Amino acid sequence: MVGAVLVIGAGIGGIKCSLDLAESGFKVYLSDRSPNIGGTLAQLDKWFPDNHCGMCKILPIFSRDESSQFCLRRGLFHPNIEILPLSTVEKVEGEAGDFLVTLSVKPRGVTEEKCIGCDLCAQVCPVEVESEFNEGLVSRKAIYLRHPLAMPNSYTIDWDSCTKCGDCVERCPTAAIDLSQEEEIRSLEVGAIVLATGFEEFRPQPLTQYGYKRYPNVVTSIELERMLSASGPFRGRLVRPSDGEAPRSMAFLQCVGSRDRERDYCSSACCMYALKEAMLAKEKNPELDVHIFFMDLRAFGKGYHRYYEKAKDDLGIKFTRCRIPQIKQEPKTKDLLLTAKAEDGGLTRHQFELVVLSVGQTPPPHFPELSKVLGLDLNRWGFCKINEFSPAETSREGIYVCGSASAPKDIADTLVEASAAACQASILLSSQRNRLVGTKIYPEEVDVREQEARVAVFLCRCGEEIAAAVNMQEMIELARGLPSVLYVEEIPYLCLKDAVADMKERIKDEKANRVVLAACSAFPYERLFIEAIRDVGLNPSLLQLVDLREQLSWIHRDRQQAATEKGKSLLTIAIEKLRSQEPLPLLCQGVERQGLVIGGGLAGLIAALSLAEQGFEAHLVERAADLGGNLRDIYATLERGDPQALLKGLIKKVEENPLIYLHKETEVIEASGYAGNFEAILKDKNSMLHPIKVGAIIIATGGEQYQPTEYRYGESEGIITQRELEGRLASGELDSKELRSVVMIQCVGSREKERPYCSRVCCSQALKNSLNLKEKNPEVDIFILYRDMMSYGFKEEHYTEARERGVIFINYEVDHKPEVKTNGEALQVQVIDPVLGGTLKIEPDLVVLSPAIIPNDNRKLAQMLNLELNEEGFFKEAEVKFRPVDFLKEGVFLCGLAHSPREITETIAQAQAAAQRAASLLARERLESGRVVSEVNERRCSGCELCISVCPYDARVKDEEKGVVAVIEALCQGCGACAAVCPNDAAKLRGFTDRQVFSMVDAAV
Amino acid sequence: MGRNAILEVEDGNLLNTLNMLWRKLFEKKVIDALLIPQELPSGINVVQTLVGSPESLESPNPLAPVLPVNSARIVSQMTKVAPSPRRVGVVLRPCELRALIELVKLKQASLENLVLIGIDCFGTYSIKEYSKLAQEGSPPTEDFLKGVKEGREDSSLREACQTCEYPTPMNADLIIGLMGMDFEKSILLQASTPEGERILEALELKDSNETEVAKREEAISQLIAQRTKKRDELLEQTEREVFGLENLLKLFAPCINCRNCKTVCPLCYCKECFFDSPTFEMEAEKYLGWAEKRGTIKMPTDTLLFHLTRMNHMAISCVGCGMCQEACPNDIPVSNIFRLVGLRVQRIFDYVPGRSLEEELPLATFKEDELQEVG
Repeated sequence: MVGAVLVIGAGIGGIKCSLDLAESGFKVYLSDRSPNIGGTLAQLDKWFPDNHCGMCKILPIFSRDESSQFCLRRGLFHPNIEILPLSTVEKVEGEAGDFLVTLSVKPRGVTEEKCIGCDLCAQVCPVEVESEFNEGLVSRKAIYLRHPLAMPNSYTIDWDSCTKCGDCVERCPTAAIDLSQEEEIRSLEVGAIVLATGFEEFRPQPLTQYGYKRYPNVVTSIELERMLSASGPFRGRLVRPSDGEAPRSMAFLQCVGSRDRERDYCSSACCMYALKEAMLAKEKNPELDVHIFFMDLRAFGKGYHRYYEKAKDDLGIKFTRCRIPQIKQEPKTKDLLLTAKAEDGGLTRHQFELVVLSVGQTPPPHFPELSKVLGLDLNRWGFCKINEFSPAETSREGIYVCGSASAPKDIADTLVEASAAACQASILLSSQRNRLVGTKIYPEEVDVREQEARVAVFLCRCGEEIAAAVNMQEMIELARGLPSVLYVEEIPYLCLKDAVADMKERIKDEKANRVVLAACSAFPYERLFIEAIRDVGLNPSLLQLVDLREQLSWIHRDRQQAATEKGKSLLTIAIEKLRSQEPLPLLCQGVERQGLVIGGGLAGLIAALSLAEQGFEAHLVERAADLGGNLRDIYATLERGDPQALLKGLIKKVEENPLIYLHKETEVIEASGYAGNFEAILKDKNSMLHPIKVGAIIIATGGEQYQPTEYRYGESEGIITQRELEGRLASGELDSKELRSVVMIQCVGSREKERPYCSRVCCSQALKNSLNLKEKNPEVDIFILYRDMMSYGFKEEHYTEARERGVIFINYEVDHKPEVKTNGEALQVQVIDPVLGGTLKIEPDLVVLSPAIIPNDNRKLAQMLNLELNEEGFFKEAEVKFRPVDFLKEGVFLCGLAHSPREITETIAQAQAAAQRAASLLARERLESGRVVSEVNERRCSGCELCISVCPYDARVKDEEKGVVAVIEALCQGCGACAAVCPNDAAKLRGFTDRQVFSMVDAAV
Repeated sequence: MGRNAILEVEDGNLLNTLNMLWRKLFEKKVIDALLIPQELPSGINVVQTLVGSPESLESPNPLAPVLPVNSARIVSQMTKVAPSPRRVGVVLRPCELRALIELVKLKQASLENLVLIGIDCFGTYSIKEYSKLAQEGSPPTEDFLKGVKEGREDSSLREACQTCEYPTPMNADLIIGLMGMDFEKSILLQASTPEGERILEALELKDSNETEVAKREEAISQLIAQRTKKRDELLEQTEREVFGLENLLKLFAPCINCRNCKTVCPLCYCKECFFDSPTFEMEAEKYLGWAEKRGTIKMPTDTLLFHLTRMNHMAISCVGCGMCQEACPNDIPVSNIFRLVGLRVQRIFDYVPGRSLEEELPLATFKEDELQEVG
């Protein structure tokens, strides 16, 4: 067994999976074919359903000084993660637990450690090629940085277009370019492999009817993403490619490359990203006429339906249910003409100035080859085959999968799966946890508290980059004259290895106890410099970086005098701050290394097992006498799986696992504390109280089916719910042979004013039950009255199958709902037929309703643990996309129907994800805080609690006995909101004392 | 709106009638103690008193047109550490009640077991003015009420009162309604909470008719309109006086750093003011360094910083009681400036300090869609 994991693919899924594994004590190799990490996400600026960026939210909260603290777009640093750009897997030998992987690493042509990102090479490069980052809308050079702030932040040679003229080699000031670099072969020993290779967007050239690449104003959705981006080809101005004018009208065509004969699956994310892009375009120009042509609007995720309604009702984006067969171009204006079917069945012609093709997800071109190397089975569309009841597992033991590699999906679902894959790998390798990772041992820190400040200042010229922008000599003279400064040196390139080594010697020789580096951007180099200063026995808080690049040379290049003044000011401020800087220690807190899982349904069972199988004790609390929750009533899945066998197996495993303490007929009546240190009181059926201490809590309290009040439910034996139908079919109570005709009505209680969300599972349920009926009795007429069929992903093929088997689908609008009438035993359903027009009357034997999924009453638990509920009563996660199973309250995690409605497969992945998040907390013996954390001056604290209400991390609590506030350092992220809101400085931030800040202000003005 | 009852004024003597009301509250066990202003034996001022039994109610006079302290501070002092299990009635003016609500939100006071009795407020004189009037002859309360009845505009009232647009109590259990009433004959007792209704029941008073309620409402809106107009004029003038750094410096130049304004402010709740902390104790070199850099520095330093910081902390909750301006020995229009800024800030968040306990302090809440544009 090897406690290391290879993650293939460094998009958001691979990054998330790597972070989860790294945080829970495994060594991770993160490999990507491209020169930089980030995958498709690097090309996108904002996400649905909040139209913000939020990638940074997946960064670790604990031990933050060791890992990335910057924007995730700029950098990913974790001591346990090694990033391997430009690498491809060539060979995998061995078996689960002991793989030997051979990687080929393509030459970058540029030495990463030497490249300072000055761009001089690209400026002299004579070769221009299409920029793949900007989707060919602009060009780049043969030596290039994929996008600004790429990670790693090093230029790369595109060997396919490079002419090897050597101009760049000559121009490079640090001799970083080496055209003779050759491919390298690397062997890695890993215990597990995670496949996170993502997708390739569908290239619509073959669909000639849309005129893509022939008509300049037909663009793909990903091209539009770039066009809307401030870092894009038009600097964020929305213009049409033909004439550079702002379009007055635009249309989105959905399902381009999805839901067709060749790709009979739904790409799951396109409806939502089209909504987002439409909204962002509207933001740029509120007058813009935006039209979306769709077949089913699949806004099935949490919060997505509200987003759809916002687009429709608040922003006036227009929606037409129609697949557009063809686009024509008006030759003169280059406007685009399309014909759509109108509500009344007639045809309407539309003219648009810009048309966007919402392209779907396909497996990447290299995927078949890679899967062959890994020995994985693919499904009929070329995605990785998975087990319905263990979605992270591939056909080969020890190799796991997440994200779009196994099926098209959006970021939220990808991130859940990323954690689930990390969970599966952690289970396999749990005996090897913390074996291959370790922190570097540094010399003991010099106690500088009694010493007078002795500041050494190093200024980096960055070749000519900084030196040309400011007057270095003036800066040096200024520094020499400042109090406490005993040493000033100018260095050509401070980031080069030798320079760092020299600097360390100098610090030692001069017995400096504070160091100012006036040099580079912090994000790529701060870690390097911190390591250096720790090597010479100084506490990292005694280092101060002054960013002369982003603050000066990049922005004031042409105003040397002003730039020098600013530089002097920045330097003085840094030195002033440092003079009175105390060394800041890391503070530690113990962890109770067991978990509590609340709820014994599918999610709870999986979560508890996943913790136990990773070697952690888990308390599993279930209110009822039996385990299983809603799963007990499900007898089949759309994918023809057997949920009852799954349930039986799970219960057996849980009952037999010695690490799981099962508490049936028990409730959690009290819970308090914080991450790593919770206390809860369990009350059993005999009213006995059991206090327990746990480090993490997983909430899996489930949900239930809505009891319909619509459609005369309860008035006739013939009106039943899908679940009742399923139960009766399974028990044989209902003989399908005797049925002539069945009507199913979708969205009963969902996507309504009171419940503005899609219940996600009901369309599959209807498809499943109708296919089941059709199989037993092909003669039965089945009508499914629906609003939008939510057969996302590969469920689409079952939708197709149902249509092929003669199930009749009739679309209804929410304003014209079907009517159910009863006359004694007889039933009649009336619905407006959108195809034929007029009212259709059906007299079925059965009316089957698809009711909403609603949450249980979670208020008590939410209040106990200070968790938020959303407007519908489901628990509210920390962030819908990037922290889907976390709460803002650290140490508490969420899965199953308590989060939102979801399928069995999705629930399993989510429960594993929640367990993994909990495990990465329990895997630590102690929680380490950052150095910059807040503290309380108790004498001054009035206990007004303003700081508690503004703390985004729940890191402040009231000490009721003393009447003052206390800080939980491990949770504090040093944001300083408390210090800002506190009127009298009772809340303080270490490293930013008032004295320091005042003297910094003084130095600045 | 809750129940309204009529309190008949006996022998045309409102103060006596009210005195009987307080006693009755004790008798009916509505309260065990009462916080109420009482006249000094000399008659030249009133002070806030805490009374433990009805017998000790010697000269209660909550109508005296003077506000020596904003009693929200006193209620905070009484309830912050631990509220009493006994029921304490507190008789407060509208600005005191509003400040109290703010303090409760800031966890500096508790309403537990308090009976909030609010009084319609026609305004108050400064302490000096009140003593002067008292020494000049007839009791100021009677004269003042007479003036009110005659509809006399009194320009010697405190400026804060003349421009106060919240003359009626918010969040009181029981309101002593004087506006629009012929208070030689009868006044209105208004219950605006269930607690207030229980009190009215215990007092066995007859319900008022709608005309009286309407009369009060009418008088209130008239007064508010008149005061709002005055307020806007005053703030406009203040804005002119304070606009720009030069004016600001000029206006605050007479500040001697006595911090009286902070001491009397009902909302300045810090245990120890930041400006009294060692952060501001500097080495001589520091001062000399500044002097060197700028030529001249004003001593004592940081007076303007003190006011701006206090404004930064208090503007959102400022109820405009004007205590700060009263306390300033050098007549700096502190309150006017605070109101000018406070009102603007409060409007941004649609926040009225003291309006409701449910309204969260804007500083303590985060809304994604607010303040999209700054500056």
